[in-house]
Amino acid sequence: MTTRGIVPIGLALCLAALAPDDPKKAKAPDVGTAYQVPYRLTLTNHYLVRVKINGKGPFNFLVDTGAPYLFVATEAAKKIGLEPAPKGEYWSKIDRLDLEGGATLKGLNGRVEDPFQLVGMNALGLPGASIDGILGFTILARFKMEFDPTKDRMTWTRLDFEPEDPFIPRNAEARQDPGVQAMSALGPIMKFASVFIGKQPEDVLHTQGLLGIELDDTMKVVAVLPDSPAATAGVQPGDRVTKIKDKSIAARKGAHDAIAKIRPGDRVALTLTRDGKAVEMTLTAAEGL
Amino acid sequence: MKPRLMLLLTPFAVCAALLSLGANRDKPATKQGETAVVPFTLLPSNHMVVEAKLNGKGPYRFIFDLGAPVTLLSNRAADASGAIDKKAPKSFLMGTRGEGKVAKVEMGDLVATDLPVIVMDHPAIKALSGFLSKPLDGIIGYTFWAHYRTTIDYKDLKMTFSPVDFEVTDLMKSLPTQLSGPKVAKTIVLAPRALWGLILSEPEGGVSSPGIPIKTVLAGSPSEIAGLKPGDILTSLDGRWTTSIPDTYSAAEKVELGKTVPVVILRDGKEMTIVVTPREGI
Repeated sequence: MTTRGIVPIGLALCLAALAPDDPKKAKAPDVGTAYQVPYRLTLTNHYLVRVKINGKGPFNFLVDTGAPYLFVATEAAKKIGLEPAPKGEYWSKIDRLDLEGGATLKGLNGRVEDPFQLVGMNALGLPGASIDGILGFTILARFKMEFDPTKDRMTWTRLDFEPEDPFIPRNAEARQDPGVQAMSALGPIMKFASVFIGKQPEDVLHTQGLLGIELDDTMKVVAVLPDSPAATAGVQPGDRVTKIKDKSIAARKGAHDAIAKIRPGDRVALTLTRDGKAVEMTLTAAEGL
Repeated sequence: MKPRLMLLLTPFAVCAALLSLGANRDKPATKQGETAVVPFTLLPSNHMVVEAKLNGKGPYRFIFDLGAPVTLLSNRAADASGAIDKKAPKSFLMGTRGEGKVAKVEMGDLVATDLPVIVMDHPAIKALSGFLSKPLDGIIGYTFWAHYRTTIDYKDLKMTFSPVDFEVTDLMKSLPTQLSGPKVAKTIVLAPRALWGLILSEPEGGVSSPGIPIKTVLAGSPSEIAGLKPGDILTSLDGRWTTSIPDTYSAAEKVELGKTVPVVILRDGKEMTIVVTPREGI
């Protein structure tokens, strides 16, 4: 059940349409610019990028060549005051779409709708983040896209290419084939199933605490930031850090690992060597980075 | 199938097998360092379509889908190419036959080996085939393209693929574990690898917030030396948006030690870019 629901994201979304020939648009000012677009891969192997719509956000959007255009989920649209298309029309006008990494597109048509795949995935909390919409062909085709699974950013280079919006049949029934309608029913089914299977919780994020010690490769204190916990406790330049939380530290990776789980307010025991003697002290980690 | 018909078809099958052997000898799998070019066409529905030979059979037409986590193959193509055991039973649901493997996939200049597939007749594919009156035989998804550095150029209608070393997680194997596993939220401490000397405030304005206000810049810290000031609003760090405090830490976490990175701020409503070299420290 689950597999079927999430497999062909977007593919089923549009089965119609010939792009009409529209008058030529002006060339985008950033043609040739290569943007580094950070992304995350969800637990379900979907690519998510972040966007702002009309300057608001950020929202997680799926990168999907199987989707024909830009979808904005109804909940996200509500948050930013983007109205669904008026009766008899299909598109909502979007003034500005910003992509993380720097690209901006202006004057777009988007569809405010909850495609069934998103309903299902969000109900189960499957992707490890909520998904607020889909970037489909009319957005993606404006870029030459490069993605490398070994890197944490994609490269999107703006093309001199403005794809037309697909033709949408007036008649709502003509938009959907029975097979696709059957697929559409899967969203609510997954939502229902989630009551039994249980929603996957989102990660809880904490920030690391700060001590305020600059170190060199040999764990010697190069500087102590004024007003930091290290300064308050009396750490001095020239001291050598030998233990953090009673663990011997030989290299800086060790120091980072020892401190990686420390949160603001945590007590941290430090052992230093000063003038050949061991000095012990306890610091309270502060907020900051 | 009737025995007589079988007899008739056998010579064709043998010929096809020989042909596919020939094809298998011709082209070795695309290796790391090589870049293969694959042309594609666009359907009127704006879907990308590629033609691929499977174990020398075909070509078959596939939707190339960045939104698909797995690769789907029709029963027709799976049977013809030997991607699945012919005896594998068909489920009444979309004719699902389970997992198979294609030993050799040829697409443009690209030769791929051992592609895992899910064999089923997907209704969306069927509907699209019917609409186009040209058959489509599946969807190429993540399990294929995650093995490559991929470029897609919609203007030239070309893709390129260069193999990379990357372990691809198999959704079909990981998903049941995820679903049946404990529903406990993972706790992650975001830990930047270097010292910046910044203390941040919570953002204001909800979805309209441009970024994170800087509460304090520690004296003598890399941030102070770079020229950051309290009251500046951090909008991005090394090209990543800083719209929440965890966002900012997560962006800082990804900065390699010793690297100088741009930080974009709003100061008195004006956008400025400042470069910061965070230093080794804790």
